[in-house]
Amino acid sequence: MNENLCTGYDDSSFVSRRKFLNTFAMGLGGIALADLMNPLTASASSDLSIGTHFAPKAKRVIYLFQSGAPSQHDLFDHKPRLNAEHGEELPDSVRDGQRLTGMSTNQSSFPLAGSPFSFKQHGDSGATISELMPHVAEIADELCFIKSMYTEAINHGPAVTMMQTGSQFPGRPTIGAWLSHGLGSMNENLPSFVVLTTKDKGGQPLGARYWGSGFLPNRHSGVRLRPDKDAVLYLNNPNGLSRSSRRSTIEHLEELHAYQLSKQSDPVLENQIQQYEMAFRLQASVPGVTDLSGEPESTYKLYGEDARTPGTYAANCLLARRLAEKGVRFIQLYHKGWDGHANLPGQIKGSTRETDQASAALIKDLKSRGMLDDTLVIWGGEFGRTNYCQGKMTPDNFGRDHHPRCFTKWMAGGGVRPGYTHGVTDEYGYSIVQDPVHVHDFHATMLHLLGIDHERLTHKYQGRYFRLTDVHGHVVKDVLA
Amino acid sequence: MKPERLTLIASSLVAALSAIGAEEAISFNEDIRPILSDRCFKCHGPDSENQKSDLRLDTREHATADLGDGFFGIVPGNLEESDVHWRIWDDVEEDRMPPADSNLSLSDEEKKLLDRWMEEGAEYDTHWSFKPLPGRIDVPDSNTGWTRNEIDRFVEAKFVENELEPAPESPKEKWLRRVSFDLTGLPPSIEEIEDFLSDGSSDAYKRVVDRLLNSSAYAERMTSEWLDVARYSDSFGYQRDDARFVWPWRDWVIGAFEQNMPYDAFVSLQLAGDLLPNATQEEILPTAFNRLHAHKKEGGIVLEEYRVEYVADRTQTFSSAFLGLTMDCARCHDHKYDPLPTKDYYELSSFFANIDESGLISFFTDAVPTPAMPYSNPETDAILASAEEKIEEIGSRLRSLEAGLADSEAFHNWLSDRPDMLWSDLVADVSFDELVDGTFENAALKDTPAKMLEANKVVPGVSGNGVQLTGDDHMYVPEVGHFAREDPFSFAIWIRPDAIIERENILSRSGGADDSASMGYELLLLDGKVTFSLTHFWPGNSMRVQTMDPVKAREWTHIVVTYDGSSDANGAQIFLDGVKQDLEIVRNGLTREIDNYRSGKKDIWRKHIVIGQRYRDRGFKNGQVDEFRMFSREISDAEAIQLFDGRYLADLLRKDKIELSAVERSQLLEYYLSKVNPEANVLRTDLRAARGKWNDTMDALPEITVMRELPEPRPAYVLQRGVYDSHGEEVFADTPGVLPPFPDALPRNRLGLAKWLTDPDHPLTARVAVNRYWQLVFGEGLVRTPEDFGSQGSPPTHPQLLDWLARDFVDSGWDLHCLLKRMVLSATYRQSTQTDPSKRQRDPENRWLARSAPDRLAAEMIRDNALAVSGLLVDKVGGEPVKPYDLADSFKPMEPDEGDGLYRRSLYTFWKRNAPAPAMVAFDASTRDVCSLKRETTASPLQPLVTLNGPQFVEASRVLSGKLLDKHEGEIEAVIEEAFLLLTSRHPDSRETQILKNLYGDQLDEFSSKPDDAEKYLATGNAPLVVSRSLGEHAAATVVVNAVMNLNESLIQR
Repeated sequence: MNENLCTGYDDSSFVSRRKFLNTFAMGLGGIALADLMNPLTASASSDLSIGTHFAPKAKRVIYLFQSGAPSQHDLFDHKPRLNAEHGEELPDSVRDGQRLTGMSTNQSSFPLAGSPFSFKQHGDSGATISELMPHVAEIADELCFIKSMYTEAINHGPAVTMMQTGSQFPGRPTIGAWLSHGLGSMNENLPSFVVLTTKDKGGQPLGARYWGSGFLPNRHSGVRLRPDKDAVLYLNNPNGLSRSSRRSTIEHLEELHAYQLSKQSDPVLENQIQQYEMAFRLQASVPGVTDLSGEPESTYKLYGEDARTPGTYAANCLLARRLAEKGVRFIQLYHKGWDGHANLPGQIKGSTRETDQASAALIKDLKSRGMLDDTLVIWGGEFGRTNYCQGKMTPDNFGRDHHPRCFTKWMAGGGVRPGYTHGVTDEYGYSIVQDPVHVHDFHATMLHLLGIDHERLTHKYQGRYFRLTDVHGHVVKDVLA
Repeated sequence: MKPERLTLIASSLVAALSAIGAEEAISFNEDIRPILSDRCFKCHGPDSENQKSDLRLDTREHATADLGDGFFGIVPGNLEESDVHWRIWDDVEEDRMPPADSNLSLSDEEKKLLDRWMEEGAEYDTHWSFKPLPGRIDVPDSNTGWTRNEIDRFVEAKFVENELEPAPESPKEKWLRRVSFDLTGLPPSIEEIEDFLSDGSSDAYKRVVDRLLNSSAYAERMTSEWLDVARYSDSFGYQRDDARFVWPWRDWVIGAFEQNMPYDAFVSLQLAGDLLPNATQEEILPTAFNRLHAHKKEGGIVLEEYRVEYVADRTQTFSSAFLGLTMDCARCHDHKYDPLPTKDYYELSSFFANIDESGLISFFTDAVPTPAMPYSNPETDAILASAEEKIEEIGSRLRSLEAGLADSEAFHNWLSDRPDMLWSDLVADVSFDELVDGTFENAALKDTPAKMLEANKVVPGVSGNGVQLTGDDHMYVPEVGHFAREDPFSFAIWIRPDAIIERENILSRSGGADDSASMGYELLLLDGKVTFSLTHFWPGNSMRVQTMDPVKAREWTHIVVTYDGSSDANGAQIFLDGVKQDLEIVRNGLTREIDNYRSGKKDIWRKHIVIGQRYRDRGFKNGQVDEFRMFSREISDAEAIQLFDGRYLADLLRKDKIELSAVERSQLLEYYLSKVNPEANVLRTDLRAARGKWNDTMDALPEITVMRELPEPRPAYVLQRGVYDSHGEEVFADTPGVLPPFPDALPRNRLGLAKWLTDPDHPLTARVAVNRYWQLVFGEGLVRTPEDFGSQGSPPTHPQLLDWLARDFVDSGWDLHCLLKRMVLSATYRQSTQTDPSKRQRDPENRWLARSAPDRLAAEMIRDNALAVSGLLVDKVGGEPVKPYDLADSFKPMEPDEGDGLYRRSLYTFWKRNAPAPAMVAFDASTRDVCSLKRETTASPLQPLVTLNGPQFVEASRVLSGKLLDKHEGEIEAVIEEAFLLLTSRHPDSRETQILKNLYGDQLDEFSSKPDDAEKYLATGNAPLVVSRSLGEHAAATVVVNAVMNLNESLIQR
């Protein structure tokens, strides 16, 4: 960290600058960062914001995206029959012509793979959770499981794109961008859509598109906070340039611009003055959130020791809570490494070790701070995994291919029904037999919790009104508290 | 109509009619269509599938049709009888149109307008942009003296209508700055400013424009804009997003602008250069345009789904870029707003489907997705030509040797004294008789036995034992079959399929199926037909032959394959049970390597002959095999028969010379030629070497994705709901019905399409192009939705001007210089950006052009400006993409270049779709995922961080301040003066200089007290530090220069 960069809000400097500005009687300042990043007050006339349509239950979302697709069979959707018929061929009647990926479509045999992990029921709700997630099991009664999620996409790129934009193909805005477009920002000094990715994790690649704004203006894109010195691009002053030196630069720039303004009014110029003020404030406000040094020891007990290392999933969960406290609307985590085509048992142990404690800690932490009620937390991936083995099955090892027909997601807080499980899959865990929830339904429900009618959050592009839910989507009423 | 509505509505009707000024004529296109389109067409528009009722409002014929029971949507001139009128005014919410649940509504003004229009006869008109471009457009008169050319007279006419006055002229230096950025993307130099300021002649402005238009910087600027349209990227996109080689296309574009290529040629070459007669490399290269879309590199996808997606991308790009139409809407259903039925979409898209491509590009090899063109040069062409000559020459010597051999003494002597049958050049010989520790002996290579995974079973074979395969478990013969495509080779195997199915892989030497591009060679059963392929990239760069008839299930068949090393499908033979087969040539386009394993770069790249299974392919499930043999030469017919029956050639060799039939004699001659005759053996060795030379030369050339038409068009269908495998009606190449018909005389391919598109009267092509260039110069187009000229797009602010410019553009021979000159030499362009607030209030969006727009510089210009003024800019045109500092901070960090690569113009920055240059993205650069015709300019606080803290900008400030300090010997006022002039193109006034001097003083105090900080600050960037003054002075001056770089006037067009 640059030693010259203080981490608190530098009030004194601002007062003097305000005074300075007032001498020009321009009435500038006081306009928040949000106004530049937020369409509610921005001047773009084509971009009318929507606002909420009814009282929201959730004010913000923390979306713990488990990229690569966790195996529902080994975590939540327990199927004893798979263990009973372990190694036997998947009955054709169960598969029923479902298209497979190019990776296993040519396999000659599809042996069923029972989960090697033990399952127990937890809490008053009796939610079934495997031994891989002991911490999540502790908060079972806070969670609302949807075991009947489904999608059409069968590969990561299209499926993540679908899950985050409502379309398999690139070009549409992501959820966070839609919310920024529809609801604007709740904080003055931070972006309204922030992205945190786990550092140094192998797995299916992520791309900036997964938090892009698609056809919405670029200011709605997620801002990724990086776990290095510059949490956002060039946040810090260059080496050797102090905060006071920068303050002086900004002030003199303002003086030059104000001098021009005194000759002729000019909204472009006014805009730029604000833009530079906000950049200056952002330089302090971002480190104010990302600097975890003020967190007490109890925090690390809760989130785990990993949370001390910037860029880990645990550190990102902690950071997500801090961002939520500051009023960031949509906090998107990405954690890679769930793509268990081969060696699934070993891989999923690693992934759950990295994510279980911190995921549960986040819920507990939000609850103890009274924030869980209006914070929607979502956990899940882009699709599920097959009940049959991909590749060679050996006594202690197997893999699972992609499976779009059913998978599990869980939500907590933000107006969802706690201690509830929605949807049922068949006894092979292959198809949904009750209450299917499509990605579009999931989106519609999420928007509903945020007070938005998904059919009315639109943007006109290339002559058409687009929605996150395209022309589909139904709110899943059963999961609402 | 319901009678009670009569009274209900009567009063409002009176009010409505009286409220409308009768003096203004209603224009259907300007006043009515936008309302109908936006509020009604979704359910009452052209989409035949989505009609909520029988009423359609998109044509007069439909709107006035009898709907039954005496109902009419519109009865022209008769509101009372027009149901539309009653429904839009209905007080009962459930009956009112548009319905509440559509989230659409009509204002009273709009309803009144619709009423008046129906009253006046409900005249429809063809949508403005679908009308042919008029041959002549009258230019309005003017006598104000403000106008300089025709553009101004059209603009002035709108001033009069809207009671506006033009803004004052820009100061000369500001005009120069604006025109320099608009045309070249670079600032004027001090010398250029001084020259222009001192040039009082009448053609001073024109001389500047001529100078700019004839610079390479102009070509680079125009190219930079075209890269967004063409969704240019140096990476393949989608999830993997690996790098690709396409920049020669970008350099072609630069060259086209440098020579001011007529726009019709510029477009036609990119659409169809490959279809010109005897197309040259320079003519084919532009067609890379249609292959710049993202390509999928993610194993496991369904190939057809993505092939369809690529075709859709080309169609969308064509429609947006050239037609200004949102054809993509019609992919799943009839367009809801424009007369573009789904069928029209698929007819148009079928023009772009006829190439031999795959939906998946190779993950495990570096094969370039086909069709691809080797990117050659004259030296390499000469080497290839000489190798071809050599191949031809040796081939002809071999043929004449063959012709003379039958009667030669040598052959007669050999015939008289034939040795016994003896295999030669045998490299694998596996009988599968005895399994020892999971291995079978390879009698030809004893120390490397064949290996088998244990799930396969040893079963009784044709002779002794054979193997029954599971289809998921392979068997392999190690270190065998390392053939390049110039190597003749042969192999034999017995097979017994369990069932005849769509596809089974019997054996291969290849890394895998689709995501390895199948590179290598393989023996497949496709619907039981024996199929042999040599593949570089399937399907576009491969040769494949196939037997006419399938083999039988549950019966043993003996297969021999021979190949002569020619890379030609005619050089391959298949024998079934000793009988040479007639073969269908499925592909005959192999031109590149099949032996990528030599690079040794991936484990998956199998170096072995693998039997019964292949990575991501369908194996030989429950099939049996026996007696595998492989030869490192092309064996003769008699040997092939011998391999089947174990005696034919042996018998023949023992047979008395006199008893030999003509056929037998010729078989022996072939055997003799292929193996015994020393002269032939030498010639074959030479031939192999000559082919190897050609092949190696070709393989060393990089390849670039281009268009190459298939011999026959691919069958095309309407895809129901846009789903890739949901084929509806078959369709044939055609242009949309709403546009001029496709002339019979033109070929129904992309070349014909290009000719249709560039017809001088085409309603869209010139209008769309002229509008895009207007946008480039003026910030906004005359049509503000450059990608949508349909009924949901913005209508032109100056329709006559747009038409006049378009007609003039066509008549000038599509001369872009001429078009741009008119724009930048107009009085309209010469206006200042400054205007008083009341005028701004009256036209906040500047639709009527009574001032110039204060546009922020494009991302590329902001960076190029810093490089140019500091003198760091490396003035080199074209070449490989480069990696400046900010790529180190992209989402997929890349190592920045050293040296020149840091200082090239931004259009050369390596463009990676999933991790685009962050400093460019911060300033709203397009991500180039899809064709984009307009960038949205935003102001975010992340932007100042780039220009204040980014090493590129700090370094440029440091270098410039160092130069100026040196030049002016530390005289800070002079430094400020010159930096200000360089960065804003004007001199600062005394107040501005004073403010900057104050800043300098502050900074000097700061750095003087902390010399270490000065040193650290000045260490930013790779350019050498030249210090002529103290470190403190240099650091302080750097801050000052950087501040000037961040001035509004440095970043915004003024």
